[in-house]
Amino acid sequence: MGHLAAMTLYAALLSVFFATLWRRERGAQIKLFAQIFGALLLGAVAFGWLMYFFPSGPPAPIP
Amino acid sequence: MTEAGSTRAPWRLYLLCALAWVIPGGGHFALGRRGRAAVFLAVIACAIGVGVHLDGNLYRVVPGQPLTILATLGAMGMGAPYFALRYLLGFAGDAEAAGYEYGTVFLLSAGLMNLLLVLDTWDIGSGRKE
Repeated sequence: MGHLAAMTLYAALLSVFFATLWRRERGAQIKLFAQIFGALLLGAVAFGWLMYFFPSGPPAPIP
Repeated sequence: MTEAGSTRAPWRLYLLCALAWVIPGGGHFALGRRGRAAVFLAVIACAIGVGVHLDGNLYRVVPGQPLTILATLGAMGMGAPYFALRYLLGFAGDAEAAGYEYGTVFLLSAGLMNLLLVLDTWDIGSGRKE
């Protein structure tokens, strides 16, 4: 399973869970699902792009 | 007695919460929320299944690492599946597996989600929530 697939599946599971937990009407559930799913997925991609400005340093010393 | 749940005996509320912890979605099922219970069971079972498939870490207490106590409590939140995986199937995860970190997150999240369901069961059972 690739990184994107795992992340997408994780976002989908959390979105379904919280949409079902916090909303009762079907329309509100779908709306909240879309909001959480979009925020998690797009937020992760955006955060990943931001990481380009912080290149990794030298490898950590082996203790 | 104006609230429906306020007439519920406390021992029954504790029993519902215990059921909600042992079986993900069990509390909602017992409260008549069958559809939601099925969704919760499916979501948590899927998270556990993916976590196991990716060989994630099923947390246990490691001496000298106090944060593992919190993580273990969180993972134990999944209820019966935790003990079945740990003691019946001997599952512990594989730190060298490619999906180890992701799997760990799936397993820990499954436990934390089920703990939220226990709290939700308490709220519904006590009449604080419909």
